[in-house]
Amino acid sequence: MNKIESWLIGAVCWLMASCASTPEQVSKVNQLPDIYPDYIGVTIPADIAPLNFNLADEDIDCMDVVARGSKGGELHTNGDWADFDIADWQALTQQNRGGKITLTVCVEKDGQWTQYNDFDIFVSPDNLDEWGLTYRRIKPGYEVGGDIGIYQRNLSNFDETAILAETVVPGRCFNCHTANCTNPNRITLQMRGEGGGTMIQKEGKQAWVETKTDSTKAAGSYSYWHPQGDYVAMAVNSVHQSFFTGIGQRIEVYHKFSNVEVLDTRTNELILSPLLQTEDLEIFPAFSHDGKWLYYSTSKPCKVPAEYEKVKCSLCRIGFDAEKGQFGLQVDTLLNGPATDKSYVLARPSYDGHWLMYCVSSRGNFPVSQDDADLWLMDMKTGKIRALTEVNSLQCEAYHNWSDNSRWFVFSSKREDGMYTKLYLACIDEQGRVSKPFLLPQRNPRKYYQEQMDAYNVPDFTKTKVEFDAHEAYRQVFDNNREQVKIK
Amino acid sequence: MNKTITKYGTIALSVLISIGAFLFWYIAYPHAMSYQEQYQLFLWTSDYFVERVSLPGGLADWLGEFIVQFYYVEWLGALLLALLYVALQRLTARLLPPKWWLLSLVPVLMLWWLMGDINVLLSLPVAIVLALALACVMPRRYSWIDAAVLPVAYWLIGPIVWLYIVVRAVQLGWKHLWTAGWMLAAQLMVYAWLLPQWPLQQTMTGLNYYRIPLHYPQWTGYDKDMYELVRMDYLVRHERWDDIVKRAGEYQVNTPFWSNCVNLALSQKRLLADRMFDFYQSGEDALVMPRTRDLTSMLPSAEAFWRLGMVNSAQRYMFDTQESILNARKSGRCTKRIAECMLVNGHYKAAMKQLDLLKKSLYYSSWANDVILSDDWVNAQPEYHRLRQLRYKENFLYSYEEMDKMFGLLFMNNTDNKMALDYFLAQMLLKGNLKGFQQYLGAAQQYGGYRQMPLGYQDVMRCIQMQGNVQGSPFANYAKRMMGGQQQ
Repeated sequence: MNKIESWLIGAVCWLMASCASTPEQVSKVNQLPDIYPDYIGVTIPADIAPLNFNLADEDIDCMDVVARGSKGGELHTNGDWADFDIADWQALTQQNRGGKITLTVCVEKDGQWTQYNDFDIFVSPDNLDEWGLTYRRIKPGYEVGGDIGIYQRNLSNFDETAILAETVVPGRCFNCHTANCTNPNRITLQMRGEGGGTMIQKEGKQAWVETKTDSTKAAGSYSYWHPQGDYVAMAVNSVHQSFFTGIGQRIEVYHKFSNVEVLDTRTNELILSPLLQTEDLEIFPAFSHDGKWLYYSTSKPCKVPAEYEKVKCSLCRIGFDAEKGQFGLQVDTLLNGPATDKSYVLARPSYDGHWLMYCVSSRGNFPVSQDDADLWLMDMKTGKIRALTEVNSLQCEAYHNWSDNSRWFVFSSKREDGMYTKLYLACIDEQGRVSKPFLLPQRNPRKYYQEQMDAYNVPDFTKTKVEFDAHEAYRQVFDNNREQVKIK
Repeated sequence: MNKTITKYGTIALSVLISIGAFLFWYIAYPHAMSYQEQYQLFLWTSDYFVERVSLPGGLADWLGEFIVQFYYVEWLGALLLALLYVALQRLTARLLPPKWWLLSLVPVLMLWWLMGDINVLLSLPVAIVLALALACVMPRRYSWIDAAVLPVAYWLIGPIVWLYIVVRAVQLGWKHLWTAGWMLAAQLMVYAWLLPQWPLQQTMTGLNYYRIPLHYPQWTGYDKDMYELVRMDYLVRHERWDDIVKRAGEYQVNTPFWSNCVNLALSQKRLLADRMFDFYQSGEDALVMPRTRDLTSMLPSAEAFWRLGMVNSAQRYMFDTQESILNARKSGRCTKRIAECMLVNGHYKAAMKQLDLLKKSLYYSSWANDVILSDDWVNAQPEYHRLRQLRYKENFLYSYEEMDKMFGLLFMNNTDNKMALDYFLAQMLLKGNLKGFQQYLGAAQQYGGYRQMPLGYQDVMRCIQMQGNVQGSPFANYAKRMMGGQQQ
């Protein structure tokens, strides 16, 4: 949404009359309010935008909400939905860090006011310390991406701006935007099709390179930065889709081949290892917090799509020496997919080195298409693993990423309707206790999410606002002048 | 005398244009209007208006889409187009010296021809009319007013404002050409500061005049074959099966799209087994086409899938068709069918999103408002209930390469599905699988509901038995060709 649109919408909203009556002759009911999104009992960072919410019942006349902090402060809002002032909300949350905010909800319907039981929102002592989120918005369709865009969202308010929209590079598919440990000074993204390539932006300067070589089967994707900021790990693969005839899962995504490589962005050289260029499918690489390990998933080759149910990924790691730009000579298997009849994909180590979060599903190497994909957590100090039951649902959870302080994580979930992925945030403490996740706040959440026809994927935190020249991207794409990377 | 001729001549010309335009669109080219209408979904919301007018040319775009929504009612659409043409002629006449009144017909004819390019959006003629209207109302004495008017006019109607600049230069003299420099500067400023996600080329030439970004209208006029395909799609949309068969006998376009439409019509009249090879058959793709990334090709296939009970495939083809609309508009036709597929599959929460969208439109809202998201309501709708009986009971992966087997399994699922039986046998013929055809002909006899075996099938059998020696039957001719191909 551009600035002009925001201003115009603001003006229209201001002009539109809303309810403004105050509770009188209130009758109490012994139940919690049925609100959307479900923010009851969630834990939030103090530096987050207001958790505005609607009543699930759309036919109410008015809603009156009072928010009281356990450490002081009070906030009141009255209208069609709970719409808190941003500055007042953040003053309240900052005042109540480590405490809680108790909300009293009164609803007017057919001239009668009803007060529900109070509920709490807990304010974590840990700030988010991130400017916002980046994510791709794409229609949850099949083989045509449509109006794709990579966006960034300021998490302390509701502002969303495009980093790269389809309008500036029409007809192109782009994906896998990745920053280095949430620092947008180094970002990369891939563009497919005519004029495609890999964009690497360092300190605001874009470089577009061709990562397919005679020795590697395709261009790189699913990238991940080495924490020192010189290397990018990528998977080299061929992704396909097949479609189910039943009424459950719609799509099976599979890869016909996949290997892992690392690009040295200083020299544009690819670093290969025979251990990562096998007949097996190595996929979704991610460096450890200290850059000494590269995590990835691997599965035995199957005759896909016919044998799609046999694709079981193991979670592995291999050493990496950043000084020499070399891989280790041995692969460690952390979780064995075939042995446990599961698939372990999308390893994401926390930036403090304490945790490893990953997806577990019954099969496949593309978890976002698997309805049973759940998030799991490994304690890297003890090796203990557990399902994150606090955040999982019956639908798919995937595309998780950590905040820089490793106290918060974002993930996508299809829990609401099984199709349109939405973003949720949750916090984790030193002991690994995870809070109830909360849906990414919006000014008018029901209206926003009901009218939003895009699915969110590949979310990541960003330390500061991403500066990206989309006009320059247009020139680079249409000039189609790529530097060819070499094999080291 | 001259004044009288001019006055009545202009009026007579307007009357002639209005009648001619009305008859042209209503009688000769209603399918062209249907085509335009199905690639947008005008919403009666302030958000929709704001979204449009937040880009240069947005008002013309909004007005164009506003008019196009009425194409749903053909006479009304034709009437509005006729009025637009008359407005163009009257404004031109007003700007021309009186004695040149007859020349006011020229822009109308030019526009008429230009609109033969099916990707020209109505925002272009609307913008032209608005630019001329502005030139008519602006005072001729004060050219400096244009310094303020031009940027506003550019924002409202887009770069067609250059037409206004030219008209004003003619009216006020070439000294007025300073406005051209000012306009150019204004456009560059808009590009640099307000349109970070649009290419310079489109900022200068228009964001919404043409459906395909970075492309421009062609002076192709009304290409006969292309409009024949558009007509076929229109007839399919309105289930005018008899008209399709009749039209197919009069004119044929040798493309898979045309074959898809004709075969679908034949199947709905249960004539596929008798008459299929009376018409052009494009090959294995003559019944349903493989996935194609454009906004038209898959529509008849999607309609066939829907009627067959292959609900998931209908949804997929409609979804990908909608996402192939390169100016990122929604399609009322596609959205409605996607919602119907979701209803049949019981995906009510996802369907609700589509329905909410349709409820904000004019002509799809009554249907959307009638829908109740429950199994009872869906089962009470005869068509949806029937499709629930027809769809696959087993869950497996769709395979276009094995479409004959897909149809066969669908028929085995429910032997009342005569269309699946017809498509099954027809697909085997198209593939040249005469052995399979022979094998399953018994099923056709048992379940096909024919009084006697269709003549086409009889001919094929005779052809097989007599090793191709059957004269005068298009079915036998095709079978003979396939037998020859197999021997080779």
